[in-house]
Amino acid sequence: MSVIRNEVRRSTYLDSIVLMRISRQVAALPGVEEAGLVIATPANKEILRDARILGPEGEKAKPGDLILALRAKDAAAAEAALAEAKRLLDQPSLSGTPASEHVARTIRGAVQQMPDANLALISVPGHFAAAEARKALALGLHVMIFSDNVAIEDEVALKREARAAGRLVMGPDCGTGIIGGVPLGFANVVPRGDIGIIGASGTGIQEVSCLIARAGGGISHAIGTGGRDLKTEVGAITTSMAIDALDADLATKHIVLISKPPDDAVIKLVLDRVARSPKPFTICFLGARDLALPANARCAPTLTAAAELAIGAAMPREPANPPPAVSPRGRLVRGLFAGGTLCAEAQIVFTQAGLRVASNVPAPGAAPMSNAKGWHRMIDLGSDEFTRGRPHPMIEPAVRDGPLADALADAEVGVILLDVVLGLGAHADPAGHLARMLAGCDRRPLILACVVGTDRDPQSRSAQASKLTEAGVIVAQSNADTAAMALKAIGT
Amino acid sequence: MHVATPAASHTSCRLRLVDRGRTITIPILRSGILARRFCRPGARAELVAVFERSLYLRCADMFLCIATPAIGNGPITMIGDFGRFERLSDLGLRPGLPVSISDRCITIGGSVRFAFEGCELWRPSAWPVPRPCVELINICDAIVRLALVQGPDQGFAQGYRLPERGSDEPPLARIARSRIAHFQSWLREALQTNRIDTAACLDAIQGLIGLGPGLTPSGDDFLVGALAVLDALAERNAHAALADAIAAALPGLTCPLSNYLLRAAATGHLGEPLCRAVSAMISGMVEPAVGSIRAIGHSSGWDMLVGAASTLKVVAAARSRWPPDEASRTAPQLAQLENTTTPAAACRASPAGTAPPRGSGYRPARSPPRPG
Repeated sequence: MSVIRNEVRRSTYLDSIVLMRISRQVAALPGVEEAGLVIATPANKEILRDARILGPEGEKAKPGDLILALRAKDAAAAEAALAEAKRLLDQPSLSGTPASEHVARTIRGAVQQMPDANLALISVPGHFAAAEARKALALGLHVMIFSDNVAIEDEVALKREARAAGRLVMGPDCGTGIIGGVPLGFANVVPRGDIGIIGASGTGIQEVSCLIARAGGGISHAIGTGGRDLKTEVGAITTSMAIDALDADLATKHIVLISKPPDDAVIKLVLDRVARSPKPFTICFLGARDLALPANARCAPTLTAAAELAIGAAMPREPANPPPAVSPRGRLVRGLFAGGTLCAEAQIVFTQAGLRVASNVPAPGAAPMSNAKGWHRMIDLGSDEFTRGRPHPMIEPAVRDGPLADALADAEVGVILLDVVLGLGAHADPAGHLARMLAGCDRRPLILACVVGTDRDPQSRSAQASKLTEAGVIVAQSNADTAAMALKAIGT
Repeated sequence: MHVATPAASHTSCRLRLVDRGRTITIPILRSGILARRFCRPGARAELVAVFERSLYLRCADMFLCIATPAIGNGPITMIGDFGRFERLSDLGLRPGLPVSISDRCITIGGSVRFAFEGCELWRPSAWPVPRPCVELINICDAIVRLALVQGPDQGFAQGYRLPERGSDEPPLARIARSRIAHFQSWLREALQTNRIDTAACLDAIQGLIGLGPGLTPSGDDFLVGALAVLDALAERNAHAALADAIAAALPGLTCPLSNYLLRAAATGHLGEPLCRAVSAMISGMVEPAVGSIRAIGHSSGWDMLVGAASTLKVVAAARSRWPPDEASRTAPQLAQLENTTTPAAACRASPAGTAPPRGSGYRPARSPPRPG
């Protein structure tokens, strides 16, 4: 029979963290069915009563007191738990935070806590990121800088400093990485394998790694470089070091390189480095033309093609989603993307089909939005104009609500392209949000979407795809496939 | 929003930590308004709590927090330069030690002295102009979602807006949700009808006060967040009704420290991290708002944020014209403290032994009558 025990401490002040930690520790003791440690306010006593752990001593406690209340399976367990609870209350500092729960406030503190750590992930306002990165480098760590808004001068200086020390600086604005199977930032849960990825693009890495995973392959490492690494100023420092690292990694058999087209001065540098590698490369410089590739490299015009070349097979297509018929409404396509690289890829598919495309972040061959009248539009919702002071649309899908409502209401729009990006750090149910947004919208354009993710992601790709399908959205295997479907739907 | 950092004038008193025999002297850099009032020369107090980054002193029903800069400025807080003492528990102080106060310093147990010389008064910045209400509603939703994802397991951050989960649901989550809804319902009706019923407000908040875990219960922190938003948006009637209801509901519903902090908030005295969070929130910035409250306790900051977001959403939805006229806006706290420069002088100007809320200089412009 269950036994209730209460311990009341008069006028005792303990730090909230200590209160909650002791509460958890007592609840986890053998034989304890329920426990709580709270200030004895009337409202809290009501909760303890509701939980059937408030005894007569606790009933008498006053708001300035602390109540430790527990219910155990028998008297022996209750007494043992109460004794341990008293010990923890008497010596709260001795019940100090377990190392696994302690949050270090500095990089140095974190290194002291975890001396074997060799990488620091920095996500602070951009103004402070370079200083934190320097601290990490000084401690001998590799660095991933998730923060954006870091001056390019700081990026160059950091990367040179890191190169001299034999350390890698991933970023700034590096959203995704997978190192030794450990996901960093916005990454997906993919199996380990023999394909290494080097990418200046977060969603590009996500799309390629997920396509490889869904085709049965796996990832050795995915190293983000930051979007400016292939600029002349930076000179591909991280890209070159990442190739060095993957060359030396025995688990990596094939390397995929993803980026927007590098600056002319950098292309030769990178391709020369690729040529010296003993490993085969797939190079996906989205929008680049006439690349003089070395013999060990093949060119992929899209992210999908990059994944296919890496695994050496064509992607399986979604069987349940045949290409749609020609759009019943207007002939314009509106793309609303959470992923910047996915937006760029769609633009390239369209421009290579000879169509006129405008974007707020134009890819090679596309025009700025000011020239958008009568053109197809591809909008990167992760750009500053949409995310200033708001979360990224991968975290907060409501960022897309306004532009989506506009597109649904625009009679000239015959097809809407969407991406749904899953993974660690992403919104828990982006497809559900879209489905709610589309519910009750009868006369609408064709809506095509790709779901970037795997079934091992917290959101489960197949579950998210099902929600979209039920909402009348046609789901394609990849972003490039979505864009290709759109071309068919408008009769191109 | 201005982020307070030690001004140049503080450099002279930095690192003046001196170990004179057995007495350690720690310079106080900044002081909140109520902290100054606590320091009446000749007063006796007691050290009641020693945490890693803060100490709490008590005198009657008043409290004083002496803390490291990491805690952030606040109305009842004195920020000290603790130098090599990274953890205040290393000072060797224990709860129960006597505290004496002079016009120059606070002395605890005869071994640690907190010197006022060079101390500056901290005041919060003015609230910014809020973003349009449609945008604010989205901001509130985003903050609540972030609270669900990033907030601690305990407190209101996880319980709020979760779907009902039947008997498996923790009692706090179920109780908190219904009481938050009751509070929002009162506020919604008050704003829509422009009729402030303090008795109804009292009914709406009594179940929140003292509810939840932590040194300051989550329900109290929730109401502090709500008060901050009503102040920031110059919702004077609703603020006054809530403040009066809090005054009428207490005491006895919560612990003495939280009681004091809640009453301080009801009179417009808010801590800097919360002011920064609410300023960011009404300016449309989610991540800075969340970032500002992370350092407040374990769940307290999140509970305040949930209170602020819940309140902001109701206000934004109720207001058709937005933002209110600039002329009707006000700086937070409006604490027109005595024009004094030292805690002791401030204390001399303050009625001896009085609790902070009344006579702090803050009063919402159009106060409704007190209940019953």
